[in-house]
Amino acid sequence: MAASCLLALCLLACGGAAVPDAPTIALGDEAVEVHGLSGDTLGTLARGAFTDDEWRRLLKVSVSAEAPPMLGRYAVEGTVVRFTPEFPFDAGRQYAVAFDPSAVPGAPGGLDLVTASVGHPAEHTEPTTVVSRIYPTGDEIPENVLRMYVEFSGPMGRKSGVEYIHLLDDTGREIPGAVLPLDYQFWSPDHTRFTVFFDPGRVKDGILPNREMGRAFTPGRTVTLVIGRDWLDEHGLPLREEYRRTFRTGPADTDPVDPQRWQIAAPPRAGREPVRVTFGEPLDHGLLMRSLGIRRDGEVVNGEAEVAEGETEWRFTPSEPWQPGTYQLLALDILEDLAGNQVGRAFEVDTFDRVDDDPNPQTIMRPFEVR
Amino acid sequence: MRFLPRLLGVVVIAAAVTWWAPWTPVVAQSPGGPSMASIGPLTFGPDGTLFAADNQAAAVFALDLGAAASGAAQGAKGTDALDQKLAALLGTDARSISITDLAVHPRSRNAFVSVMRGQGAGAAPALFRVDGNGQIEMVRLAGLAFQKVDLPNPPAANPGDRRNPRASVVTDMAFADGRLWVAGLSNEEFASKLRAIPYPFARVDEGTSVEIYHGNHRQLETRSPVNAFVPFTINNQSHLVAGYTCTPLVKFPIANLKPGEKVRGTTIAEMGAGNRVLDMIVYTKGADQFLLTANNSRGVMKIPTKDFATAAAITTPVDTETGGIAYQTIQSMQGVEQLDKLDDRNAIVVARSASGAMDLQVVPLP
Repeated sequence: MAASCLLALCLLACGGAAVPDAPTIALGDEAVEVHGLSGDTLGTLARGAFTDDEWRRLLKVSVSAEAPPMLGRYAVEGTVVRFTPEFPFDAGRQYAVAFDPSAVPGAPGGLDLVTASVGHPAEHTEPTTVVSRIYPTGDEIPENVLRMYVEFSGPMGRKSGVEYIHLLDDTGREIPGAVLPLDYQFWSPDHTRFTVFFDPGRVKDGILPNREMGRAFTPGRTVTLVIGRDWLDEHGLPLREEYRRTFRTGPADTDPVDPQRWQIAAPPRAGREPVRVTFGEPLDHGLLMRSLGIRRDGEVVNGEAEVAEGETEWRFTPSEPWQPGTYQLLALDILEDLAGNQVGRAFEVDTFDRVDDDPNPQTIMRPFEVR
Repeated sequence: MRFLPRLLGVVVIAAAVTWWAPWTPVVAQSPGGPSMASIGPLTFGPDGTLFAADNQAAAVFALDLGAAASGAAQGAKGTDALDQKLAALLGTDARSISITDLAVHPRSRNAFVSVMRGQGAGAAPALFRVDGNGQIEMVRLAGLAFQKVDLPNPPAANPGDRRNPRASVVTDMAFADGRLWVAGLSNEEFASKLRAIPYPFARVDEGTSVEIYHGNHRQLETRSPVNAFVPFTINNQSHLVAGYTCTPLVKFPIANLKPGEKVRGTTIAEMGAGNRVLDMIVYTKGADQFLLTANNSRGVMKIPTKDFATAAAITTPVDTETGGIAYQTIQSMQGVEQLDKLDDRNAIVVARSASGAMDLQVVPLP
């Protein structure tokens, strides 16, 4: 290599006969590179003010030899012609590269194409992602359950889960139409939690879909949630294994969430033992994480919250020790139970009689004493 | 929907409109162009501004396409296997992209297609233009003049906790009466929101927030999500006509959407259970106007609008497959996933073909 460079430099410096091109193709970190071009050729290309189409005729990089050239930027940098794709090359994918020496201005026609297949090795080849948890974590769900959260051990791909989530009855038969056909990106920002909404209409007697298909959830029986393996993670790989979990179906829950019935176990003064709030029923995990807080004299008390005991309990550990006096448990009225009943408002109400004036969350305060 | 009007009588849309205090307004232009984490849905304003939702960042961008507004040829030409062609341009395969929306520029009539390239949270947005020659060009987002508005985040009771996996999803957008209307859902609260954002976004402090509920005669409140909607004029009054999940069609007047007031929408059609409206357009044929809706499980429906003003509200349980204003299923349009009006005679669609590829098709308006 060094010898050939020296030879090329000598020939250029000496003004000798033109050095023939001997192009070779290599893959750098982020670009396809063509080496081995003569100074004349490089100079021509650098001055050429090529259009994108002319560049693509000279150096085509594509997902296959038959495919159109992929988008990117061309440049002559030093002794290298470089193609940098608009988006990074996929790991594990081979790209077809063809350099056409005849497309260099002034070059004779009919020169042989220089071709190569290049690619970065796959970084992930074995499925590793699994369903790590389903909320609710309790064994029983009401027959009018509104939603579940599916948590994964790592980031998932972009696809919605509607086609990968199945419900089986206690005979193993699939329950059709239980999941609402909302094919949206109900992912958490980091793509590790997906929200599944069930169709609240499937618990009603007498309506057409339920007469045709049967009710989705039947009290006293079990239902099994199945997450198919073919749901792809962020690397485009399937899950490591199918996930199954069986719930017992309980009666419908049509009561609003009532914070006045919650039990608050006040912590002792001067320590950082958590305050424990027990609800008497499981509440929605996602909403619990942001609907409850602690105030003292109207000021936010900072600390760590956790949800426990099958989402029937909320614990809050303050950053600073509790002081004697009155604290307030603050609840936003958007908090829901498993059936979508909110604080002070059941999921099913007659909106002719009652329409909320204000969709912004209202707050409910419950005092407790630290002694 | 099943939990909706088929059982239902009147769908009451209780749209309580309030000022949304924590609205974060605008990022003005920056030299580097918009920094978008994702793209789609899309809609054009009448002046050619392209509004693009960024669901990953819970924001809406107003993009000034400049010279990129038009390709070499007016209009848009269909092309087979659009997904494979876009994927090839992006250096990947069709499985690794998703076409998130399709919108037609009001003047050039070129089709703009938004795409996400890649799988996980790191997937990247791309925007393409298809012109009347079928030429596909990528529109580089960097360098476009833009405005951005963040969608408001609901308050949290424990603001110090940063483990908040809530996310907003924009399901559809449309421009009407000088405002961009944005329908959105969250991955936690079930209720959908319909927000009005005055444009230019500099006046965002006048924005309103709308929350929509449904109810029915059987004491059933539904907070059914709005999937798609179009502005539509009824008796010289601007309305939004919205398709909800499972699938009532509801009208409500824009003028009623004032801060602090309630709006009761009217269900005028039931289009079937287990269904979701993907896209909808309004067009004129002869002396009549029609609504054309693409649905995820019930194909493309042509709905006459002549009775939209007078149709009785559905106020008793609908115990049949459909109810209210009748529609016609367009059998010739199959697999439609994206739909827009191309011109006075044609629709343009992205449709899944029998081979599984996503074709861009120009289809005469039925």
